[in-house]
Amino acid sequence: MSLLRVRDLHVRYPSEHAVRGVDLDVEAGETLGLAGESGCGKSTVALSLLRLLPRTAAVSGEISVDGEDVTTLNWGRLRALRWARASVVFQGAMHALNPVRRVGEQIAEPIRLHDPTVTAAQARARVADLLAQVELPAERARAYPHELSGGQKQRVMIAMALACGPRLIVADEPTTALDVVVQAQVLDLLSGVVAERGIGMLLISHDLAVLARVCGRLAVMDAGRVVESGPTGRVVAEPAHPRTRALVAAFPAVGEPRHRRAPATTGEPAPAGVDRVGGELLRVEGLRVRFGDTVAVDGADLDVRAGEIVALVGQSGSGKTTLARAVLGLVRPDGGRVLLDGRAVPARGRGLREHRRQVQWVPQDPTSALNPRHRVADAVAEGLRVHRVPGDHAALAAAALAEAELRPPERYLPALPHELSGGQRQRVVIAAALALAPRLLVADEPVASLDASVRGEILALLLRLRARLGLAALVITHDLGVAWTVADRVVVLRAGRVVESGPVERVLTDPAQAYTRSLLAAIPRARWASRPT
Amino acid sequence: MRRGGVVGGLVLVVVALLAVVAPWVTDPAGLDVTRVDGPRLGAPSGEYWLGTDENGRSVLLLTWWGARVSLLVGVAAAVLSVGIGTLVGLVAAMAGGWVSAVLMRLTDFFLVLPSLVLAIALSTVLERGVGTIVLAIGLTSWPGAARLVRAQTLAVAARPYVERAHALGGGTVHVVVRHVLPGVVPLVVVNTTLAVGTAIVAESTLAFLGLGDPTAVSWGAMLRTASSTGAVTAGAWWYLVPPGLAIAGVVLAVTVCGRALETVLDPRLREPR
Repeated sequence: MSLLRVRDLHVRYPSEHAVRGVDLDVEAGETLGLAGESGCGKSTVALSLLRLLPRTAAVSGEISVDGEDVTTLNWGRLRALRWARASVVFQGAMHALNPVRRVGEQIAEPIRLHDPTVTAAQARARVADLLAQVELPAERARAYPHELSGGQKQRVMIAMALACGPRLIVADEPTTALDVVVQAQVLDLLSGVVAERGIGMLLISHDLAVLARVCGRLAVMDAGRVVESGPTGRVVAEPAHPRTRALVAAFPAVGEPRHRRAPATTGEPAPAGVDRVGGELLRVEGLRVRFGDTVAVDGADLDVRAGEIVALVGQSGSGKTTLARAVLGLVRPDGGRVLLDGRAVPARGRGLREHRRQVQWVPQDPTSALNPRHRVADAVAEGLRVHRVPGDHAALAAAALAEAELRPPERYLPALPHELSGGQRQRVVIAAALALAPRLLVADEPVASLDASVRGEILALLLRLRARLGLAALVITHDLGVAWTVADRVVVLRAGRVVESGPVERVLTDPAQAYTRSLLAAIPRARWASRPT
Repeated sequence: MRRGGVVGGLVLVVVALLAVVAPWVTDPAGLDVTRVDGPRLGAPSGEYWLGTDENGRSVLLLTWWGARVSLLVGVAAAVLSVGIGTLVGLVAAMAGGWVSAVLMRLTDFFLVLPSLVLAIALSTVLERGVGTIVLAIGLTSWPGAARLVRAQTLAVAARPYVERAHALGGGTVHVVVRHVLPGVVPLVVVNTTLAVGTAIVAESTLAFLGLGDPTAVSWGAMLRTASSTGAVTAGAWWYLVPPGLAIAGVVLAVTVCGRALETVLDPRLREPR
């Protein structure tokens, strides 16, 4: 008998039909991966399994968890089933934990709820045992969530999910927002638990590479339906459905020559534009930035030539964003210099403004980078106004939008940010940067918050802009795949220092440093790329 | 919430219109104790719908004219108080450093001072009149607004789009005018509306305590004369109920209106997420 059996599941919200006939099976000891882009209904499926959806959602179809029909259970039986037989690892561990309670108490909560006879001492022993299973020391039970790192919080969430010995775990994007190395550890932990206890897991992610690392079978969702399913190797190697192909293409294999400077795009292939690389444009020398007692950037050197795309890679906390902000003049260095065209960047005044015209920023999350009250026309023309650029700002803004491939621009000028998709918002941010005709773009994780199918388009845009305008870019990313797809050179940063730098082909296929090798080993894709196809 | 706001708004508009047109549609002579001829503390009748006061003046007329002072003081004091608060909060948040520290300690000082006592002290020291009352209320009730505006300014200033504006080369003035103020103004508007209610009550309190302008009729002043001239012992409820209900009604209308405005203007409710 299947641990999880879903047949013809439909979920209707008042405004939309989110899930349209989904069938899923999870057997004991098996991990099923559920992939899809945001809005495809995968999280709705996850929540419907334990009837966690809001009242406004109408659920129909068959859902049986460990032999019990969830759709017809009464409230008491449902509560008994929740957590004791099936549990959830929620998306975003930082928000799912109560910030004012010790994590030990939070792990013990389901244990004591399901069995009120458990004494405090027994509960403590159980918690210590669970923490050991997720490889955390027992004394961490006394920690508050803010005292834990992202990976540790995610481990606490997993310990919590295991607390009542469930037969099925539903993990909804358990590794999103974790950096590659920590992500690899968490995935190994999850698959270890599944194998050891012989339980079933439904793993949900937008990242096919993550799923490919741990799942035996994959199901790909699109617009509320499962469009493709089968053994992982087959689905990844020979994707049949266009949506699956898009997901596979969105996470390029590092070291795969086909994916080099070739982001997945539906338009014409992006030109490499390597011929546009010229002389030195930006130089960072011995840069040091401190925040109180922590040294964020500790003597980093870096240079970007005109028309060159340089990727700055590293784990979270390696200081890469701080370095970028120092290049933009948003944080003042405590030591070292930033030179543009061989001249030191002034710390204030007119000189800094002029520098900020030459060097433009594309921040991490386009949604928060756009003022929700400003129309696209205003957002794009903001820089023009700031620098009092002569000419017709509306026309210049329209031209910048066209340059960022939002065509026709007239359609987007009057729009408010919330009326646009994530990819369109990112293009608006890029257009706002282009409006000032900069020479260098500093893009901080330009695709991290975007859906798989949009990533390739934005990366292709960077390459086309380089070919067309000779625009240099410093791309900050934790994703070596991004570096492989667009960059000419890569700089590896660790704890504020440059560990290794050089041409992408050399550093990412034949790294000289052990740290770079460990980063490469942590990429889920690396394992599947080496799989014979 | 929205419907309540509309009703509250209508009530306010009607009261404000009545207050404005009072000099034209009524005869101010009816307020002059030397020129009235009604009965002393007369009960409501066909001639005096709401009865008369101890001098024979119509209570209806007094309440009507009282609205002028109460609303004027309420709005002026609220604008003054929120104005000071917004300025202090904005400067404290944007300047940072010692400027912020000094301004916020000043705010804390005014916050812990019992504002009624301070207002009483101010209106005793200063010349008597409507302006003094406005000043007394405005100068004592701004700290709340300052704290609120500072918090909202800090929140807006921490948004990535503000940082992006800096990266585009924008200076402090650009950021304040284009991003911070538009983000703070809705809060200020709502706060002003709610402050009007508080100011009307404060005005009534001060007038009731005898600190108002003795020559001007206001609802608080009416309650004071009513209690000091024995209207309570005489059972003249018609002298107490109209100004009391007027205060309660207008403050309630202002409050529901402010709450409704809050849901309409609150950036958290408008920003998509």
